[in-house]
Amino acid sequence: MTPLPDWLTEERDSRALASMLANSSPASLEQLAAESRAITLRRFGRTMSLYAPLYLSNYCSSGCAYCGFASDRTTVRRRLESDELQRELLAMKKLGISDILLLTGERTSRADFDYLRRSVERASKEMQRVSVEAFPMSVSEYRKLAECGCSGVTIYQETYDRERYEALHRWGPKKDFIERLETPRRALEGGIKSVGLGVLLGLSEPVEDALRLYRHLRHLGRTWWRAGMSVSFPRMRPQTGGYEPPFPVDDRLLARMIFAFRIALPDVELVLSTRESAPYRDGMAGLGVTRMSIASRTTVGGYDDPESAEKGQFDVSDDRTAEEFCLALRARNIEPVFKNWEPAYNGPSHTESTQTEREEKEPCH
Amino acid sequence: MDSLQLGSYTFSSRLILGTGKFSNADVMLDAVRSSGTQLVTVALRRFNRDMAEDDLFGPLSAMEGITLMPNTSGASTAAEAVRAAHIARELSGSPFIKVEIHPNPQHLMPDPIETYEASRILAKEGFLVMPYISADPVLAKRLEEAGCASVMPLGSAIGSGQGLGTADMLSIIIRESRIPVIVDAGLRSPSEAAAAMEMGCSAVLVNSAVAAASNPPEMAAAFAGAVEAGRRAFNAGLMQRSGSAVATSPLTSFLGTGA
Repeated sequence: MTPLPDWLTEERDSRALASMLANSSPASLEQLAAESRAITLRRFGRTMSLYAPLYLSNYCSSGCAYCGFASDRTTVRRRLESDELQRELLAMKKLGISDILLLTGERTSRADFDYLRRSVERASKEMQRVSVEAFPMSVSEYRKLAECGCSGVTIYQETYDRERYEALHRWGPKKDFIERLETPRRALEGGIKSVGLGVLLGLSEPVEDALRLYRHLRHLGRTWWRAGMSVSFPRMRPQTGGYEPPFPVDDRLLARMIFAFRIALPDVELVLSTRESAPYRDGMAGLGVTRMSIASRTTVGGYDDPESAEKGQFDVSDDRTAEEFCLALRARNIEPVFKNWEPAYNGPSHTESTQTEREEKEPCH
Repeated sequence: MDSLQLGSYTFSSRLILGTGKFSNADVMLDAVRSSGTQLVTVALRRFNRDMAEDDLFGPLSAMEGITLMPNTSGASTAAEAVRAAHIARELSGSPFIKVEIHPNPQHLMPDPIETYEASRILAKEGFLVMPYISADPVLAKRLEEAGCASVMPLGSAIGSGQGLGTADMLSIIIRESRIPVIVDAGLRSPSEAAAAMEMGCSAVLVNSAVAAASNPPEMAAAFAGAVEAGRRAFNAGLMQRSGSAVATSPLTSFLGTGA
């Protein structure tokens, strides 16, 4: 078995974060909130970047115990064909959306690299910014995506506890912990400009996961120093498939994590999705989070046909329209920003890293 | 107050305002108005032709007496910044371009190598190039040679509110420069803007300090007053600071004694 890399277990770097996460007193939470808010205001101003997810396909080859799209679920499988994708994009544009995240399951013959690349190409004709949350790819595949307009890749480790990880990922390409861990590095090596990392809160001991996530970010930041980075804090929601999270994370601990990450990583984009409730998202706006999803549909084809009764990957909690959500932000003196990117900045980034030894292994499924 | 000359443009105000980070466009426009500024910078990435309420360019371009200086923030290479400058000129019609190149959109520090390269190309193409740089005196001279209209060194890290942390380097840049030096980034308070102007900066650019204030239009007006006070003080000539006490036994008493 490949041993864990040293950077993942080295504790010195994450001590300050650990002490912020360890204290559970309400007074310390208030203090962190104040500091986090001040940093966010200085660094990002009174603005919130908005994006929306677009599910391209729910075909999947993996057996993630917690996921509604795992390959043993009875969910109806479909993918968007190019005319349907075009309709979805136009429906999203009508809502003002110009920054999207394209999602698929793990690689299958129905939703493979070529399908994804074609979808990115089409999406980048309509949208200002296109990111991808899909299966792990090789360096050269990431480069091709960057060349056709993909500027960001989101890839969650789900949990950094290797034993738990291997138990939860029952079969399929996602089963390999180290392979997953190496994916953000490959994306950056391929010229993808920014990577989004995260853990799925609820799967494992959350504080230890948060510390390892932080070390992963720092390791990537030092090596791929040009990379933009974002961190998401997805909490397990009721899933298709009915998985009960063994380590539920309550509102206070989630808030503490967001504040502590903002303080520890002042420049990183912090993301909160519609998995969270409207009051929670409204409350957190301005306190540390700088990027939020809006009007999300988690079904394939959910924008053009919002009335569909199809089950999504997870249930959306904040189901306000884009307009309602923007009103709520404005009421808090925060400007919703739909366009915060320029297609002139697309294309692969410089990919020199400060790494001395390049691992040229290119695992590819 | 004497006027600021950038290329063939003359400005009576020496305060430049950034337009990001505000809670809404109306507050931003109010701040622009009350600052008396005649030159504002706006990021190309915040031009949104598809959605009027998300667009910063439209309302600013409708304001009278305001010259727009688009900026390339979000660009991470010279090639991207050059592409962005072309688009910005086409959309805005402004000859000004603030070259702002960070390794990534969240990074605080400007990339000197990419910034130099983009500035050199754009100056040759006839843009009025205003490069945002670290407070590096040699880089500032290189950019002057490359044909830039000004240099815009940072006072301290962008958005940090740390003030004139780079004062020593800034004073060298000001002393050596033959083009306007505009302090950009890091200022928190009007007194820091006044201090920059007293040092001999040609102008200052502020954004966060105004946008993050409780009352942005009022803070914009405060900066305007400080910039004017600082410039007038510079023009009036500050009294010399006495660096040391005078020795009681003069060191040069031997001179002229035939020794």
